[in-house]
Amino acid sequence: MIALVVLIVLLPMGGAVGALSGFGAKGSGQALIAASLGSFVACISLAATIGLRHVQGSEGFLYVDSLSVYFALIITLVVVLAAFGSAAYLRVEEDRGELSPLQVRLYFVFFSVFASGMLASVFAGNLGLLWVLIELSTLASAVLVGLEAKARSLEAAWKYVIISSFGVTIALFATLWLFYAGSALHLTSNQRLTWAYLFVHAHALQSGSLRLAFLLAVVGYGTKVGLAPMHTWLPDAHSEAPSPASAMLSAALLSTGMYAIIRFQAIAKLGLGNAYPDHVLLVFGFATLFIGVIFMVRRGNYKRTFAYSSIEHMGIVAVALGFGGVLGLYGALLQVLNHAIGKAVLFLSTGHFVLGYRTRESSQVRGALAALPFAGGVLVVASLAVAGTPPFGVFLSEFTIVRDGFAGSTPILAAFLLLLLLVGFVALVGTTLAMATGDAPTEPVIPYPRQSGRILAGLPLVGGLTALLILGLWVPGGLNGLLVHAVHAIS
Amino acid sequence: MQSLSTSSIEGILVSLSSVVMLLAAFGCLGSKLFNRYVAYYGVQSLVLSFACAVVAYHYASVQLWVLAVITLAIKGLAIPIATRRLLLRRLELKRDVAISTGLSTSLIIGALLTTFSYLAIRPQDLPHGLVASSVVPLSTAIILLGALMMVVRRHTVAQLIGWLITENGVFLGAITLVATFPFIVEAGIFLDLVAAVLIMVVFVSGIARSLAEATSVELMELRG
Repeated sequence: MIALVVLIVLLPMGGAVGALSGFGAKGSGQALIAASLGSFVACISLAATIGLRHVQGSEGFLYVDSLSVYFALIITLVVVLAAFGSAAYLRVEEDRGELSPLQVRLYFVFFSVFASGMLASVFAGNLGLLWVLIELSTLASAVLVGLEAKARSLEAAWKYVIISSFGVTIALFATLWLFYAGSALHLTSNQRLTWAYLFVHAHALQSGSLRLAFLLAVVGYGTKVGLAPMHTWLPDAHSEAPSPASAMLSAALLSTGMYAIIRFQAIAKLGLGNAYPDHVLLVFGFATLFIGVIFMVRRGNYKRTFAYSSIEHMGIVAVALGFGGVLGLYGALLQVLNHAIGKAVLFLSTGHFVLGYRTRESSQVRGALAALPFAGGVLVVASLAVAGTPPFGVFLSEFTIVRDGFAGSTPILAAFLLLLLLVGFVALVGTTLAMATGDAPTEPVIPYPRQSGRILAGLPLVGGLTALLILGLWVPGGLNGLLVHAVHAIS
Repeated sequence: MQSLSTSSIEGILVSLSSVVMLLAAFGCLGSKLFNRYVAYYGVQSLVLSFACAVVAYHYASVQLWVLAVITLAIKGLAIPIATRRLLLRRLELKRDVAISTGLSTSLIIGALLTTFSYLAIRPQDLPHGLVASSVVPLSTAIILLGALMMVVRRHTVAQLIGWLITENGVFLGAITLVATFPFIVEAGIFLDLVAAVLIMVVFVSGIARSLAEATSVELMELRG
């Protein structure tokens, strides 16, 4: 099993190998696609066998349970979708001469490091190691954000690195306090950072320090997730990165940050009781949801609108974690998966408009349905899906969360959640419908001149939407089992 | 292994170092010259490396010795020199005019934050008589002062220094609160890498021209 985990983590580096051995966008892209598909298949086979077990390796540095496998599954799926998108998008940028061969190579190398870093962090049993790996993936993704090296993308990269480094520094402080909270335990210093031991001994941790550790972790890792008010890097980075990299940031990086928060919350709940962690997450969750929805109403750069929609969804997940019931936890985990797929599709579809219309302003994109029937259709359907329209997966998970909210002690919060979801729906779908309808521009819009590019760019959109549809109709038995086991692993 | 008590010579040295580090953070906050920012940061890092060496000596810990050397070499020497040579001199940065809050106001806010950190950390939670109980509130204050610096200064270089001060505060807390923390060296190296990336972002690219001459006030293209 450990060999399988190593395989899952290291396989995405295939893209880096391709780029380093001198291939251009085509060769590296194919290497990345093959490697990420391999990693995804390996992850599915791990998911099929993990069950309720948990496996530790290398003195607790490596830890596999259903929660980590579930998040690895999300990340590998997003990496597959984004790998197809990268192959198509980078080929066009390379042909147009907008990116030099060096930049293309840098993209594939750091894309692979980014993917592997995130996969490694969900399998890290040691919270110190988790911190190191999340920091590694931050550094790798900063290169992707600043890749185009225009003043705007460098500004976004600067903002991204300085704000998320600050967050990560706070997360380090959180980890220190968690370590300190366990000083009374008779464990070695590595064990005092190991999730399995911390979880078992959570009730014996010093409560004052644990409280501080949890709060700092929510602020620190919350900066990665985009919880308000630490979200300000997110719209800039998402709008300036190449579209497939935006998909990775939004769908995979935010999920990885959420994973860290879920682990800290599980320890805090056992050590402090439910009230304190739940309240902290509810406050941050609603603030985030509110900010996300308010800024989605503003029309402008469409990639920014989608980034605010990601902020909104992370707020929903935090609120669901804060509702605290088993159903809420189940809904939160399902929501992370649905959001990851939906947002990956949405950001990948923006590649068509960025390349075709050569603008990121939604007011300048009109008649997308007429000019690009396929991409325009995907844009409308995907935005409906992400906004929570049945029969897509996001509806099901949001429904689960709202139900848990009404079942809890404060139904007024659930009602407030519903209201914000409604505003978010109108804002998101309003933006994409305005882009899709209207007269097509007079000159032809050609995002992907090559046939192969159109296929590569189209496959992840079709695949992602199909997956979302299936998840909306029913949660397949195997996935449901994995989710139930994951909920069990942290409560 | 004996814990570091307040009355031992090592304890007194670490306490004194932390006070000097706090003063250096206040010095940065109360200054307007880029040169001074870098000088105060350099002093703070040197003192941190000294404190780290004292703790390493006390616990005879190899990894803390390594951390002390890294701190001395990178934070104490390399980063200040790189900032001076690559950023200040090339970009002819002298006076920082991009200050949103007046110096005296920010010093008063800084004093309030220091008080707040004593209240938040509540020294009684920390074991009595150990050096951690006097140093950890100070390290928290340094973290908050660094954050304040990032808020009230709009110039990218000043924000960079603010973040570096925050980082020093975290490491001061780390070596006194949890001297046996296993990932301390790796964390130090990674954060130094981030600092290098940040210096690169400001310098190597076009940002050096278009941003450093101007201020981040003018970075208004990406908003909302």
